[in-house]
Amino acid sequence: MKRQVALVLVLMLVFLAACSNNGGNSTEGTGGEGQGQGTQTEDPGSNKEEATANGFKDGKYDPPISLTTVVGLDQNAAVFKKGESMEDNVHTRLVKERLGIDLKYDWVVTNTNDAYKTKLRLMLSSGEKMPDVVRYRGDMETVNLLLDSGQFMAVDELIEQYAGDLYKEGLELDPTIWYPITRDGKKMALPILDYAYNGNQTMFIREDWLRKLNLEAPKTLDELEVVMDAFVNQDPDGNGKKDTLGLATGFKNGFNTWMTDIGFVFGAYGALPGSWNPGEDGTLVHGSVEPKAKEALLRLRDWMSKGYISQDSALKDEVGGSEMFTKGQAGIMVGPNWIPAWPLPDLEVNVPEAEYKAYPLPTGPDGIAGAAGNNPPVNGYLFINKNAKHPEAVLHYYNFFFDNLANPEPDSEFALGFAEGYDYAVLDDGTVIRDNNTAKEHAELFPDVDLNNSLPNPFFYTLTYEGARIPTLYADSMVKAAEGGELVTPYEKMEVGGRKEQNIHAMKVIMDQLDVYHKNYYMGPLTDTMQSKNELLSKLVNEAYNKIIYSQSPPEEFDKMSDSWHKSGGEQITKEVNEWYEEVK
Amino acid sequence: MKSTVKSAPPAPVATSPARIPRSSVRKPRERWSLTWPLHLMLLPAVLVTILFAYVPMGGLAMAFQDFKPYDGIFGSPFVGLEHFRFMFEYPDSKQVILNTLIIAGLKIVFGLLVPFAFAILLNEIRMIFFKRVVQTLVYLPHFISWVILGAILTDMLSSEGIVNQTLSAIGLQPVFWLGDGNWFRFTVVVSDIWQNFGFNTIVFLAALAGVNPSLYEAAEVDGASRWRQTLHITMPAMIPIAVVVGTLSLGNILNAGFDQIFNLYNPLVYDKGDIIDTFVYRTAILNGQYSFGTAVGMFKSMVGLILIVISYRLAAKYAGYRIF
Repeated sequence: MKRQVALVLVLMLVFLAACSNNGGNSTEGTGGEGQGQGTQTEDPGSNKEEATANGFKDGKYDPPISLTTVVGLDQNAAVFKKGESMEDNVHTRLVKERLGIDLKYDWVVTNTNDAYKTKLRLMLSSGEKMPDVVRYRGDMETVNLLLDSGQFMAVDELIEQYAGDLYKEGLELDPTIWYPITRDGKKMALPILDYAYNGNQTMFIREDWLRKLNLEAPKTLDELEVVMDAFVNQDPDGNGKKDTLGLATGFKNGFNTWMTDIGFVFGAYGALPGSWNPGEDGTLVHGSVEPKAKEALLRLRDWMSKGYISQDSALKDEVGGSEMFTKGQAGIMVGPNWIPAWPLPDLEVNVPEAEYKAYPLPTGPDGIAGAAGNNPPVNGYLFINKNAKHPEAVLHYYNFFFDNLANPEPDSEFALGFAEGYDYAVLDDGTVIRDNNTAKEHAELFPDVDLNNSLPNPFFYTLTYEGARIPTLYADSMVKAAEGGELVTPYEKMEVGGRKEQNIHAMKVIMDQLDVYHKNYYMGPLTDTMQSKNELLSKLVNEAYNKIIYSQSPPEEFDKMSDSWHKSGGEQITKEVNEWYEEVK
Repeated sequence: MKSTVKSAPPAPVATSPARIPRSSVRKPRERWSLTWPLHLMLLPAVLVTILFAYVPMGGLAMAFQDFKPYDGIFGSPFVGLEHFRFMFEYPDSKQVILNTLIIAGLKIVFGLLVPFAFAILLNEIRMIFFKRVVQTLVYLPHFISWVILGAILTDMLSSEGIVNQTLSAIGLQPVFWLGDGNWFRFTVVVSDIWQNFGFNTIVFLAALAGVNPSLYEAAEVDGASRWRQTLHITMPAMIPIAVVVGTLSLGNILNAGFDQIFNLYNPLVYDKGDIIDTFVYRTAILNGQYSFGTAVGMFKSMVGLILIVISYRLAAKYAGYRIF
């Protein structure tokens, strides 16, 4: 009995402790929010004075300040020299020496199975004190949790005052970059910039097939049909069997995907499924239920029945769809500029004589082409603690990387990489080694590095995941190369020099038709109705789309679907989306 | 009344019967002094069970809350049966539950019949080596993950896959296995049986190994044919274990196999192939509706529990077999 009593008591104590602990948190939390608003309106001003008083002079804090953060080590970031760690390495030393910023890590986890995300969320829900700066790259749900936690400050004034020109230019490239992280008109996090236009897709065609069948590259959907018909019926691979396809596509994951996207057929009719587009009256409409989409569906239905696209398309995801092209089965594939680097090398393995080239997306009956793309060049965010002593230090840090490492001048300090003996080494004859296989032959140049692993790359140690990226730099350099410009800067030599010709050409094709790409204009958090209805609505759309394409349902199914889409919550969501749009735009 | 008189200590008459209850009162304490180390050894297991099986059940509170990860279980507001109402009012619920029942039901029935028959067939084989090899081979797919099997099947069953090539080679129409609702159910059930019947086959074979050989000898002496022996000796010997397997699997009537369906299905077969678990995955997990997911999970567990209890009672009554 005593034991039982003891056990019950212990359990109750545990329970009570948990309760009271949490009770404390929630009050703290609400208090925090109040404070947060206070910070937004008043603090930046006082911070500024403090900052100058605390002395950031000549690009350096003297005496050094400390900046706390947390990190989840991804595989590529977890490669260290012997004796170095996340807390102490060439990156932390550089930052301390040059900027007077002493990076301190409250904790470091190996980021497997979303360990970093889990730990962040636990910190949030247990009300633990947040470090000065938190980075996050991944699902928007966690981003929204962080934004709404009330622990982080608005960054409008910080950007205004401390952001360097390159960062500012990158941000100004697309004002919608702020949409997802705007709360009550305030910018609540610093976007980590990434290369722009990298997700825009265009059409790749087998050149050898076109030549063999004496065909011109198609410019319109009608011409595309002629080419596909020839690809299917005139035995382009010359094996005497009718086993070829027109277009490689896989729409298991929907009609707005990152490769083998079929959305361009809808785009040619002026609709983009799966995204919110500004309609004629300026309000946002959902592309999946626009009447224009029906015509595109009927076109696809025709293609399916004629065998231009594979019967298995609905069962294939992006990679599965691309395999139809890389197997040498299909003659056309849609994808981003970089597919010549992956997965198209498989095509050269399977069909050595294959040649392919990028072409602009075909236009529809009204002479327009369209596809999803041009999304803001952001990949992750930095959240700054509202109680941070030196919130501006984060920007000084980011500026340093933009100014010195994002696009270094020839022969400058970081021209060849982050640090010699880490991500590169130079031989006596001037050759630069950047991969661990060649490095093995010159192990003496990489002291304390495990050459069985990839070389340690200090860019991955940075707060911003990979140093700093100037959004337009990649596309600009590629276009320059495509136009025959000489590769001068280290970045151009490194990034563009190693690219395939088809890759470089594809980027130029994409940049030349930049206005056909339309981003998804809704970037806010899931609204209440979305949470409860999203699944139902997307199921309605996907089921109807697929069944129409496969002729399992009559074309009228589209109108029925559109009707019940609106009735079962779509109307309400459209209203909520537009309320959000009004607020941010 | 009598018993109270008897057990009363001062009762002078019938000393011996009075002593029995008294000693039985004392006995537990004596037994305790002897057995406490055993209980102590049991303690970790009990604690682990409480910690990992019962404490997490506290999370079921989420089913009655509007759970927000930031607020936690203690901070999220209670909404009563809102999520259960939502579940039953959701337009697709009926179809999804029906699909689940059909697919899971077929899996349970054939998952019992196939190994039952296969075990009997295997039991008749004389070459022990061959028997062992077959037994191992049919058990093997049980260990392959559906992520891999799904990819293999998608390829094999594609329009130009090996299965359809074979079909057209023998002059049959190719079948759209994974894109036609009815064929999809067929594919799902058959591939599931293929993957899992090896396990129950082993269970049934174990039961058969326990049959007394003299029964067969006696039957042979009486002139029973092989078929008669199977009918009157082998099969009755397997009934109890079949009842156990069936009873246990009934708890799975609402589990139609998430791993499998998730890796095989696509929008074309939503109407025939979407089951509760895939539905919850899309609604609750992808859209952050944890409370709703918990509510459905709880509903499933309750139905499973009720079915197990009922079928166990029935099994105990009619087949006379008790598990607990």
